[in-house]
Amino acid sequence: MFKHLFKLIWNKKKQNFLLITEILVSFMVIFAVFTLIVNYYQNYRQPMGLDYERVWVINYQNRVEIKDRDSLKTYYDNLLRKISSMPYVQEASFASSNVPFSANTHMNGVDYKKIHVNSVNYYEAGDTYHKVLNMQVTEGRWFSRVDDAGKVKPIVINNSLRKELFGTGKAIGEQTGGKDSKRVVVGVVEDVKAKGDYQKAGTAMYERVDTSASGGRGRILLKVAPSADAAFESRVYKVMANDPMNSGIEIEHLADKRVSINKTTLVPMIILLIIAGFLVVNVALGLFGVLWYNISKRKGEIGLRRAVGASGASVSGQLVAESMILATLALIVGAFFAVQFPILNVFDLRASVYIIAILLSVMFIYLLVLVCALYPGRQAAAIYPAVALHEE
Amino acid sequence: MIRLQNIEKVYRTDTIQTLALNSINLDIEKGEFLSIMGPSGCGKSTLLNIMGLLDAPSKGSITIDSQDTASYSDKQLARFRNKKLGFIFQSYHLINDLQVLDNVELPLLYRDTTAKERRALATEALEKVGLSNRIKHFPTQLSGGQRQRVAIARAIVGKPEIILADEPTGNLDSAMGNEIMDILLQLNRTDGTTIVMVTHDQYMAQKTHRLVRLFDGSQVQ
Repeated sequence: MFKHLFKLIWNKKKQNFLLITEILVSFMVIFAVFTLIVNYYQNYRQPMGLDYERVWVINYQNRVEIKDRDSLKTYYDNLLRKISSMPYVQEASFASSNVPFSANTHMNGVDYKKIHVNSVNYYEAGDTYHKVLNMQVTEGRWFSRVDDAGKVKPIVINNSLRKELFGTGKAIGEQTGGKDSKRVVVGVVEDVKAKGDYQKAGTAMYERVDTSASGGRGRILLKVAPSADAAFESRVYKVMANDPMNSGIEIEHLADKRVSINKTTLVPMIILLIIAGFLVVNVALGLFGVLWYNISKRKGEIGLRRAVGASGASVSGQLVAESMILATLALIVGAFFAVQFPILNVFDLRASVYIIAILLSVMFIYLLVLVCALYPGRQAAAIYPAVALHEE
Repeated sequence: MIRLQNIEKVYRTDTIQTLALNSINLDIEKGEFLSIMGPSGCGKSTLLNIMGLLDAPSKGSITIDSQDTASYSDKQLARFRNKKLGFIFQSYHLINDLQVLDNVELPLLYRDTTAKERRALATEALEKVGLSNRIKHFPTQLSGGQRQRVAIARAIVGKPEIILADEPTGNLDSAMGNEIMDILLQLNRTDGTTIVMVTHDQYMAQKTHRLVRLFDGSQVQ
């Protein structure tokens, strides 16, 4: 029977071409949607790698030019000490402007022997940065005063970068970079999803903030006690604002920034889902209409099949099976294009994302076609053979 | 072979009730070639559809090969039609998107047969009607007579005991009509197939064993 139906479809390929194309386009759109959903879901399931509750971000601008590096360092060390000694402040650290959940991104390339890793997230962090964010150090240590005396600048890297640079080999003590940009790895931390719940952590390296060079990097992270309230926030603001060196003070909460950055991921996703939803409804109506039209056009054939031995159920089954074969033809073509994404690594996503998305899209299209074919199939089964034969 | 007892068929709509068949009693013997004649709208095709279990009577009973089919489910009726009955229609009812061989194989698809068996049986049936050289053609590439011969091959491919032909020569000129009639007569004579044929053509009807005339849904001869 399958061969018979395939022949029937093949011999009507011109009529079926548009329907197959429609299913193919739907598959590609659904594949894109599922790829995003699966990617976001897989990222979502990964641990965040930091604690964002009760972490405040002080944004400031350094408005006074101090050329003497030692004076600058002393000034900012004192500022941090002043902030740290305030009640409710549990930890405080300087940070570069790309604090977690901010829109800022700093990236660098990293070399180790013959390995070059591109697009590594680059952060500047103070000695207590990991404590403020409760980041887990898995190997070695975080920065400390010990590093003041080091000849080579220390860096801490995350697990993803560690795997890319050193695999399963030793990381601590290894030197990265060329002659002028040598860095020594002093620690390895768990990956941190700095761009929100739905984005992958990626590779990352942390360098010690040099307050003597530029007077901090414009951000101070504070871990505050649970009882820290708006009044205390106002006090912190005043301490910062009353200092003649600072201007443009703004205090944000990391928890709010997380919500905000998650929205920047989810909103386009929701818009895409709505568009895809309309498309799916459109395709479903199109399929439904074509199948319905086929039945009225093929009443004579349906009557004949009933006369020569087809039951109502087998006529209905035939129409559903024909639709499924059409869907299969479209899906074969669609899957051919879809597998190119993991093969060619088009968007730098894990291959598993694409494979799961292909499987989900195939299932979705089959389900859609099945749902659209079931009712017209039932209607065909209900046609009385004598009536169907008479109508042609 | 076929026994119709007090067959009545009434078509009802919201406002009107039409009596298409009225108290038809008919016994058709095994191996008989019966023709049914009558003016248009007298109920010939309705009677044939009822005999072919394509339509149900409003009243009365049909027994085919000693089996009362009144209580048969849709699936049982389909199986019964597939095994026992072959149909030939005035407008051939061939599937234009399938080649001749595939059209002839159609009834066998609803049986437990292999592709090889289906092909052999279909080729044999086409040889019987003299169309073995046209198996790869599509129906649209054939003449009316050839199409009707394909339809006959399809009707006999499953070796049914009964063939029901609804004006099989109605769309053909006399020469082609005669050709088709000869094939049907041959099937009746050599294979002993019971044939019931609806026709408007007195000349064709005279070639059969018995003639039944209908008028306004009633049997008049």
